[in-house]
Amino acid sequence: MSQTGSPPRAIPRDSLASRLIQGIAGLADRPMAWIQHAVGGRGMAYVFLGPNILFFGLFVFLPIGINMAMSLTGGTNLFLSERPFIGGDHYRSLMQCGSYLDPASCREDHFWKGVSNTLKFTLFQMVAMVGTALVTALVLNRKIRGRGFFRAVYFFPVLLSPVVVALIWKWILQRDGLLNGAITLAGGEKILFFVEPGWAMFWAVFVSVWAHMGFYTLILLAGLQAIPADLYEAAEMDGTKPMRVLTRITLPLLWPNLVVVLVLVLIKAVQTFDEVFVLTGGGPGTATLMVVQYIYETAFANQVQNFGLAAAASMLLGSVLFALTMLQLWIARRKAA
Amino acid sequence: MAGLVLKGIGKSFGPVEVLRGIDLDVADGEFVVFVGPSGCGKSTLLRVIAGLEEVTSGTILIDGQDVTTERAAERGLAMVFQSYALYPHMSVYRNIAFALENMRLPPAEIEARVRRAATMLRLTDYLDRKPGALSGGQRQRVAIGRAVVRDPKIFLFDEPLSNLDAELRVATRKELAGLHAEIGGTMIYVTHDQVEAMTLANRIVVLNKGRIEQVGTPLELYNRPANLFVAGFIGSPRMNFIRGQVTPEGRLVTPDGKVTLPLPAGHAPGAEITLGIRPEHVLPAGGEAPDAILTVDLVEKLGSEAYLYGTLADGTALTLRSPLEDPARRGDSLPIRFERQRLHLFDAAGLAIRP
Repeated sequence: MSQTGSPPRAIPRDSLASRLIQGIAGLADRPMAWIQHAVGGRGMAYVFLGPNILFFGLFVFLPIGINMAMSLTGGTNLFLSERPFIGGDHYRSLMQCGSYLDPASCREDHFWKGVSNTLKFTLFQMVAMVGTALVTALVLNRKIRGRGFFRAVYFFPVLLSPVVVALIWKWILQRDGLLNGAITLAGGEKILFFVEPGWAMFWAVFVSVWAHMGFYTLILLAGLQAIPADLYEAAEMDGTKPMRVLTRITLPLLWPNLVVVLVLVLIKAVQTFDEVFVLTGGGPGTATLMVVQYIYETAFANQVQNFGLAAAASMLLGSVLFALTMLQLWIARRKAA
Repeated sequence: MAGLVLKGIGKSFGPVEVLRGIDLDVADGEFVVFVGPSGCGKSTLLRVIAGLEEVTSGTILIDGQDVTTERAAERGLAMVFQSYALYPHMSVYRNIAFALENMRLPPAEIEARVRRAATMLRLTDYLDRKPGALSGGQRQRVAIGRAVVRDPKIFLFDEPLSNLDAELRVATRKELAGLHAEIGGTMIYVTHDQVEAMTLANRIVVLNKGRIEQVGTPLELYNRPANLFVAGFIGSPRMNFIRGQVTPEGRLVTPDGKVTLPLPAGHAPGAEITLGIRPEHVLPAGGEAPDAILTVDLVEKLGSEAYLYGTLADGTALTLRSPLEDPARRGDSLPIRFERQRLHLFDAAGLAIRP
């Protein structure tokens, strides 16, 4: 066969690489033929799915099952077989509250403080994240000089590990950090960002937005670029003012992407742990203690390791995340339809 | 409605000069069509008139007023886009009303104008639908409705029928002609389809490489093309061209001397001339003395007529349109003659030689 009709990057049939690939593939021919003979054509699908299902089962479904069982047992032993069954006691103790609006009135006050902080963090972070990502996407969608450079710069923090992000900002924000140095140079007084609860929550949100905004900006930018340019030209011909273009054309057409971003931000915010934990350690006091940190500390960091209680809190958090994921899938499918 | 004057319009994108020295007068109420091959600058010229592109040089006057530096919205024009550019999240009603809402007209007047346009364009039953639930033809009518409702000074159409299938294109073309007759507005229409140009235009502007080649009525362009480009561009199948030199006897001889053709008197011996003749003006010689012999390479039978594609003795390709259903077969040698009154002659520079 002539090579001219082949795709430009195709490996030539008689090349060494091609023969090597064919040789390796040939090794699998006999066993595959034997398996197909044994399980039949239809069964082959399960043979190929098998390793992945096994992997998923071992590392996702089995731990969920163990966690579920753990949440229904008591004691401090790690092995399930040595833990007594106590039913829903952990759930009851987590839900035992004088008033859900007052964590101090709850039996597991740290859990509810975590819930309260996570809710606050989620709310502030959602508004700040979606707001800044949207504004950034709108600006980066314009024909500005150095657009490619700015797109890369805004995306760059997404590539960093959360721990690295938190450490960078910790160095900037600590008592003798970069920011306080600048404030002192400007004649101001040092601010103890990690001592004042308001500041600690502010910086937890800020750092999280800084680190992840690039990802959401990218999603919104893709949405903006999918809006046909001639709609804007039609709007221009129609004498539409810029703010009206934004509210009547851009935002409604970007809405499906915005909803996806909102839900993703929500899920991510509810799961927040590493960044805030490294940055503030949940402090001052419990001012930035999140639910996941509570679970971690209850299970592993406290002197008495209460695996059952942590597992029950995990299950509650997991069900919230499951509901949010279903919401996200529903929205994504509706968008695709 | 208003007239339009373009004076020395030039437009460059970086080093690429897309429009060069365009001068054009469009009278109030006229239907002018810009035609030309892809990349000739016709859409850019329309966008320049619309205000969607800035000119590099020249002046644009609408109704006698210089609007060269005015924004698109301030020019009072309406444009129908090739892709329709309907707002997909708005109903047909909202799409048509959108520009009127921008103008802050009273709701009652907006409603009245939308309903009037919808009635005219047979869209009354679809006002609540979104564009996605409409056919291509209906979307096109919504786009036209959005333009009509604004009562613009000039309507601009950028290849509005190119996304429609052949049947719908013919139907919508008739509707557009009817619309122009009904509202009598100044309309500027861009197309690469010369049938649209010929059937819709009061005048056609033929563009090539950013310049105007000729402006005239459809029949002027067809019967009296100013140069080889226009002669070749207008008409389908295109005009036949035979290049040669004038002999001392006043005939045209091809470079290899194999074909000699008659010429009207008055051409200097030795002059380089291109003879043009449209396919319908090349006739089978019948009993008369033939001008040339056509070797038939291909016969296209269209039912009502047939096209013969062949070559002359020197290899020049030539097309003949015959009213007969089955005039010849592939490989036939067909004696042909040219209608003397229908010959087009062009000089060495490609310009028409007028008698």
